[in-house]
Amino acid sequence: MKPPLFDVTIAELMRDPYPAFDKVRALGSAVWVESARIHLVTRFDDIMTVERHHRIFTSENPQSLMNQVMGYSLMRKDDKPHRIERAAVEPSFRPGVVKKHWGPRFQDIASDLIDGFRARGGGDLFGDFAAPLASLSLIDLLGLEGVAWRDIAEWSQALMDGVGNYQNDPDISSRAQRASEAIDIAIDRVMDKHRTEQNPSVLSSIAFAQHPHSIDQIRANIKVIIGGGLNEPRDSILTTVLGLLQNPDQRTQAQANPKFFAAAFEEAVRWVSPIGMYPRRVSEDTVLGDTDLKEGDQLGICVGAANRDRNHFTDPEKFDLNRPRAQHLAFGAGPHFCAGTWVARQLVGEIAVPLLFNKLPNLRLDGPVQERGWVFRGPVSLPVCWDQENTNND
Amino acid sequence: MIEFTFVEPDGTEVPVRAKEGDSVMKTALNHNVQGINADCNGSAACATCHAFFADKILADLPPMDANEDDLLSFAASERQSGSRLSCQIPVSAVLSGQKIVLPPEQ
Repeated sequence: MKPPLFDVTIAELMRDPYPAFDKVRALGSAVWVESARIHLVTRFDDIMTVERHHRIFTSENPQSLMNQVMGYSLMRKDDKPHRIERAAVEPSFRPGVVKKHWGPRFQDIASDLIDGFRARGGGDLFGDFAAPLASLSLIDLLGLEGVAWRDIAEWSQALMDGVGNYQNDPDISSRAQRASEAIDIAIDRVMDKHRTEQNPSVLSSIAFAQHPHSIDQIRANIKVIIGGGLNEPRDSILTTVLGLLQNPDQRTQAQANPKFFAAAFEEAVRWVSPIGMYPRRVSEDTVLGDTDLKEGDQLGICVGAANRDRNHFTDPEKFDLNRPRAQHLAFGAGPHFCAGTWVARQLVGEIAVPLLFNKLPNLRLDGPVQERGWVFRGPVSLPVCWDQENTNND
Repeated sequence: MIEFTFVEPDGTEVPVRAKEGDSVMKTALNHNVQGINADCNGSAACATCHAFFADKILADLPPMDANEDDLLSFAASERQSGSRLSCQIPVSAVLSGQKIVLPPEQ
């Protein structure tokens, strides 16, 4: 065991986790951080080791708040039970399906949103664009109907707050409970349709899966996708835009050749990974890198830290879309590799960000940008303005 | 054990002795082959274990499912006739003496 760290506060992690990540990385492979009540793993190579040995570093966790709040989902399963449920949703997330089926829908949603606000000449891209786009896209992708974007955004936040409710706050618990019930109702409303009419939505993919799912399995997995599938595209849209606005040469490069928008997205999720940390549990006494671990130890796998590991990335704190293409851990690794990877690439790198720069002439920052979080991280506000003359109407 | 050779993107040849039944991807990782990333560790989700197999043995490899076919079309390096995801190919006598060429990018 490495000596514990007592001088890292949650407030500090929320504001800017990277100095603390550097401190932990220098100390050892897994370091107990007292304020977070977890062993943080921050080195790139150690995280690869964890993800290549998922029986020792398991996702299963009987005490997980996630199981209590969302039900027993595929996120907390390993091996065959995980594989069966993962395979059930996979047809909706295949890159070809994403490009051909979801791409045009995402394009329409993004265009409509921009057309709705561009006459204003400025705004906050968090509430005006990224949050509604991520929400509306997710509603379509899941196959929900009659759900307002603010509802699914509220459900997502309520579930995530519930999962992090270690202090057992009754208000947070009951809000998560209400969100959970509302999602059950939203699923019940459309499930018969998806069982009878096969379509590319996640609910239909599950309904037609090779291994039949119980309603509890369906509900739990939809809740995981709502809890975990909204903030990442939202935050990575904003981080990609921020990286390009702060680096005018790269912005010019991307506007001249759209393939660089895709590279900008990939670099943005390395630079500020929307999921900065996720949990694993040690299932037997073992050694990770330079650190002894005991059965039952709870690990916080800090991919946000690994993606700034100087042994893998030069000047990791810099946004550079021209970085040599290299493996990053923003989508995780191993069997739980992000199912939504290809959706995010399409939605953010191919559609949302290029459209913003193309439709909003001379897009520029218009005030201080606030970024927040360490388990999940991204801008919570991105004030911008643009020129209104000669606005392109197509 | 089955013997075959990985050809790294820079042309370096890495001869391996592989256990029958292991995936080609796992064999590459076990031998520290650099040209394979294998982000998802064999779950057929990431398309970062792309490899080129000789045309003449393609028919003797396990058939490609729709998901692998789809992923290969989006791999970082352009798909060729011998393209497969190496996590989907078990080591067998078919690979004996073969050269498995790795693409410039994963």
